[in-house]
Amino acid sequence: MMLELRTLSKCFGGVQAVRDVSFAIEPGEIRGLIGPNGAGKSTLVNLISGLLRPTGGEIVLDGRSMTGLRADQCARNGIARTFQNLRLFSSLTVEQNIDVARQAGHDPALIDAALVEFGLTRHLARPAGALAYGDQRRLEIVRALALAPKLLMLDEPAAGMNEEETAALGQSLEWVRDAADCALLVIDHDLKFIMTLCHRIAVMDMGAVIASGDPAEIARNPEVIRAYLGDAGGDDAPQPTELVH
Amino acid sequence: MTLARHQKRGLIGAALLSLILIAIGVLAAWFGSRYQLRLVYGAYVNLLVVLGLQVFMGNARVTNLSHSAFMGIGAYAAAICVTPAATKAISLPDAPWGLAAFTLDPLTSAIIAIVITAAIAALVGLFIVRMTAIGATIASLAVLVIIHSIFLFRTDIFKGNQAFFGIPQVFSLTSIVVLSVVVVLIARGFRESHWGIQLRASADDETGAAAMGVNVVRLRLVAWVLSGIILALAGIAYAYYLGTISARPFYFNHVFLTLAMLILGGMRTVTGAVLGTFLISFGLEVVRWLETGPVVAGVDLPEALGLSGVVLGLVIVLTMTLRPQGVMGDREIEDIILRR
Repeated sequence: MMLELRTLSKCFGGVQAVRDVSFAIEPGEIRGLIGPNGAGKSTLVNLISGLLRPTGGEIVLDGRSMTGLRADQCARNGIARTFQNLRLFSSLTVEQNIDVARQAGHDPALIDAALVEFGLTRHLARPAGALAYGDQRRLEIVRALALAPKLLMLDEPAAGMNEEETAALGQSLEWVRDAADCALLVIDHDLKFIMTLCHRIAVMDMGAVIASGDPAEIARNPEVIRAYLGDAGGDDAPQPTELVH
Repeated sequence: MTLARHQKRGLIGAALLSLILIAIGVLAAWFGSRYQLRLVYGAYVNLLVVLGLQVFMGNARVTNLSHSAFMGIGAYAAAICVTPAATKAISLPDAPWGLAAFTLDPLTSAIIAIVITAAIAALVGLFIVRMTAIGATIASLAVLVIIHSIFLFRTDIFKGNQAFFGIPQVFSLTSIVVLSVVVVLIARGFRESHWGIQLRASADDETGAAAMGVNVVRLRLVAWVLSGIILALAGIAYAYYLGTISARPFYFNHVFLTLAMLILGGMRTVTGAVLGTFLISFGLEVVRWLETGPVVAGVDLPEALGLSGVVLGLVIVLTMTLRPQGVMGDREIEDIILRR
């Protein structure tokens, strides 16, 4: 068991954004995290990456407690992430963006291979702010790999990408899992993308995990269908079962 | 140690800037009058201040307004150590802690001045680097006022607005040109170092930098103290040439002047710091000449005292309006000459 969350909670004032979330991610696993807007997915990622302090519960990575560590400490301990709204260093070059994250234990050959995999090699000397949107998203992933992560969390990596790009991203993420030997936690709204990519999926609603299982189980779960597709789903809405391949 | 691409380019850039600084010094030494030499020396002192300012402001992108006070600490600390005890017996008869009772050589005095300035900068920095950008700027203004007040009212040590005289003249134009070359190398080296890049990353996106393992608070403190050390060097160079110092040159007018230099040239680059310093130094001499109401092309201009203040203010307002990143923006000198 690599990452373990034990009854993790976060309150903002009186609002319980994350409520007693417990789950574990195994090494090499690709875990999906889905749920409607405001379900607490991004808050959960912010808690695990140290950008927010939990109001209760524990985060354990490889047997060591990460609870209460600052974001930079979490990052140096192997918890890497990307952001829903990109957070690149726009005045620095692509190469320098990666250099910022480089840790003593990272493998330079892996970064070179990742640059090839994500098609960024020819942009190395360009300012990150001048890249096309899709390239900026891909750079965030390569940059996170320079932390030599044990866990890489991706917050809506396919946002703004077309179907073709999304499919290519899915394959690249499987490549990342194998090449970097890390576990992935992927948030996305694209159910097809998540169901194809992930081994197991956790579903959040109102701050709590309401279901967990493999893609087929999730697609059958009536609570998931209600929470995720909402009452307004109607007859036209795609049923999760249609999305499983 | 292998250098990254941008570090190799940085070395070329620093070498080019050094050549320019040496060339200006040589030209001044050949053609300048005694009075002009003093002005050029002053420009080099201001260059050191602006470079010190750039190390923190340009990389962390947090505006600092206390820099002239740290220059003053360096100047006074060196002056108190290096001035002969016989002179101090007359000028500082009431000095506490035996400050008037000893004389040190210039090098030892300079080292002590650097250590004292760095220690005070570290102490102040512990508070400054934890604040938001605007908070840090306002606090730095408060630090300027506090330090200036101490200079003014501890007349037994600093003589306030009266002249602290008798400092031996140990520096020449050559010394400050050499010093400015060294400081350009330090500033450029820091900018292109791993820490410099991490600090610039945090200025682009603080949250993103933290998530990439950057300890923003610690890096800001490193830059702040390094900036303080360079400001101490500027103060020492000032005292070691003029022989006389007082509290006034380390206060708001000087803060404003050097800030205008950095803003005009562009705070993000070392090249911008150098360019802004020389543009304003030479520009102000023209303005000062205009202030006297000269006859230009047959037209007898009126006297216009205070014009230099107006011009400096306009430089800041116009730069911030039309080109907030300064003349150089993100470009160093080698980015203009070499291909990207």
